[in-house]
Amino acid sequence: MTDTMAAQGQKQGKGHISLVSLTKHFGQLAAVDSIDLEIPSGGFFSLLGPSGCGKTTTLRLIAGFEQPTSGRVLLDGRDMAKTPPSKRPVNTVFQSYALFPHLRVFDNVAFGLRRAHVPRDEVRRRVGEALELVQLSDLAARKPGQLSGGQQQRVALARALVLRPAVLLLDEPLGALDAKLRRQLQVELKQLQTHVGITFVYVTHDQEEALTMSDRIAVINHGRVEQAASPRDLYEEPANAFVADFLGISNLMDASAVGPSGDATEVRLANGIAMDVRRGDITRRGAVKVVIRPERIIVEAADVTGPNRIPGMVTNVVYLGSGIQLAVHLASGDTVTALVPNSDDSTASAWSPGLAVTCQLPANALRVLGDGVTANQQHSGAVT
Amino acid sequence: MRPVSRLATVGLGIYFWAFVTFLFIPLVVLVIFSVNKSTIPALPLSGFTTHWFRQAFSNGELTTALVRSVVIALVAAVLATAFGIMASLGLLALRGRTLSLALAVLLLPLVVPYICLAVGLLILVQEVSAQPTLVAVVLGHSVIALPFAILVILPRLRSLDPAMNEAALDLGASGFAALRYITLPLLTPALVSSAIICFVTSFDEFAIASFLAPSGQPTYPIFLYASARTPALLPEVIAIGAIIIAGSLLLVVLAEGGRRWAERRLVGANASPAGELAGPDGEAAEPMFATAGPS
Repeated sequence: MTDTMAAQGQKQGKGHISLVSLTKHFGQLAAVDSIDLEIPSGGFFSLLGPSGCGKTTTLRLIAGFEQPTSGRVLLDGRDMAKTPPSKRPVNTVFQSYALFPHLRVFDNVAFGLRRAHVPRDEVRRRVGEALELVQLSDLAARKPGQLSGGQQQRVALARALVLRPAVLLLDEPLGALDAKLRRQLQVELKQLQTHVGITFVYVTHDQEEALTMSDRIAVINHGRVEQAASPRDLYEEPANAFVADFLGISNLMDASAVGPSGDATEVRLANGIAMDVRRGDITRRGAVKVVIRPERIIVEAADVTGPNRIPGMVTNVVYLGSGIQLAVHLASGDTVTALVPNSDDSTASAWSPGLAVTCQLPANALRVLGDGVTANQQHSGAVT
Repeated sequence: MRPVSRLATVGLGIYFWAFVTFLFIPLVVLVIFSVNKSTIPALPLSGFTTHWFRQAFSNGELTTALVRSVVIALVAAVLATAFGIMASLGLLALRGRTLSLALAVLLLPLVVPYICLAVGLLILVQEVSAQPTLVAVVLGHSVIALPFAILVILPRLRSLDPAMNEAALDLGASGFAALRYITLPLLTPALVSSAIICFVTSFDEFAIASFLAPSGQPTYPIFLYASARTPALLPEVIAIGAIIIAGSLLLVVLAEGGRRWAERRLVGANASPAGELAGPDGEAAEPMFATAGPS
């Protein structure tokens, strides 16, 4: 039954969105600042960023609730500028769900079909399919006020999907749910997307959520795309300090890049401590930022020496269960976070504040970041 | 219990009952004298009778005036509520200084003495039709009722999730369909309240009606005012007053009942707050989508 919906989406192969120099000003503030973005059809695409970064405005521009100040929204090559929201083959799952409280679940889902004058029998069949897809067939006669938050969220999904849109827009749809339910839904939402095969554009400020579900993520900050890439590439190869920082704890250090040595570059941390760096923009010279993930730092005994090693002292120990998180004050003056696996019984108790250690920062784990970042981070202003 | 002294409790009690007495004693007195045999409303009471009610209803002029007022009030209530909806929808889109200005203009009839409005309307009516008409009374009453309609409808409209309207548009509804199927049904309780308040405002309005009603077609308050000076008619006027009090009480009960009924219909019968139902444990037990599960 539900396969007809899936077939529909995949057969069409539609739902490719291009944002071309898309800009939206609210008064003086550029909520969306010249965004260029390709959202491929049939994928799960996330717009990730802190609150006020312009991700929701971008979504509203795609839906047609806002008109761009300049730039264009193209859907499968067609400019959407003159198309009102009611005529766009795009449907939205709202953050508040925006279910119609006076209508039964069935009538909520049937609303769009009835506006399109779909024959009565077909309305009944398609609403039935949609409710089955989200496992709500039993509750069709209820009013939204009689449903739990998770159930309401599913009604909102069914109501949007029943119209077989080319693109489904989701504005933090899991934000109002508790953590356990949210984690379950992340997986199932992704499965649903794979099943129906239409483009999902998903707005979230939760990096873990974005990494879990997305095929591609655009990290947005101050109305600009910082980086658009696969979850793996974003995490492993962040383009700049903002992306590195936003996608989880990362250790940023100021350094000065001095020159190449083969396929690596040498950087000097504060106090002149030299490190080989193999990843990132190794052609850069002068003041740079280098970054390393906590799990890539190897913490060794204080007497170990060798290349890319730096002495330090443990200042804080946090027991995480699967691992132990150490704060280490390095001889360079930087304080880094290191994640040590909780591999056997002895290691858990071996760490304590004040312990002298040596940190190995492997050359193939250190990354020289691109620029245009520090300036960005100092801006402030809030637009949702 | 809050630490209130005994004296304060007693004092507040006395104040409360004095207040209630002050509010309701005129109404009680009116009802008592409406069934008093004497032709003069004065103590002592001289026995029970329903004569004045029968006589009032056999007075054609009086009942005609009453019906006239009801019709005018109904039309004015519908007009004012309709304009109130439109004004509120417009005000919803405004912000800041523009909003304050527009609201001030729309609520102006609240502070302008009705007598001034009446004179102004009279001049206007004479420019247009030369003769005072009941249509002019209806329009005048719509104007003075409009602020009440806005004050009732706008807060309700503001309390609706703006995403609701966007959701309707998103699902393919035209602006009108969104209004017709989503916004208006959700406004129903406010529309009922608005219509009742506007009805009452028009029903007992005197100044505008006295200027604009044609001399042979008095509204009920005008007729009442004229009759009250004719001692022979006074008992009938009192009887009608008692009926109107009863009617008002009925209206209030119906309005509250209607409002509750409308509210209940909006959210579904015996709905409990979503928070109570939202149990993560119950939901996590079964997969959320048909696509989920072992594959």
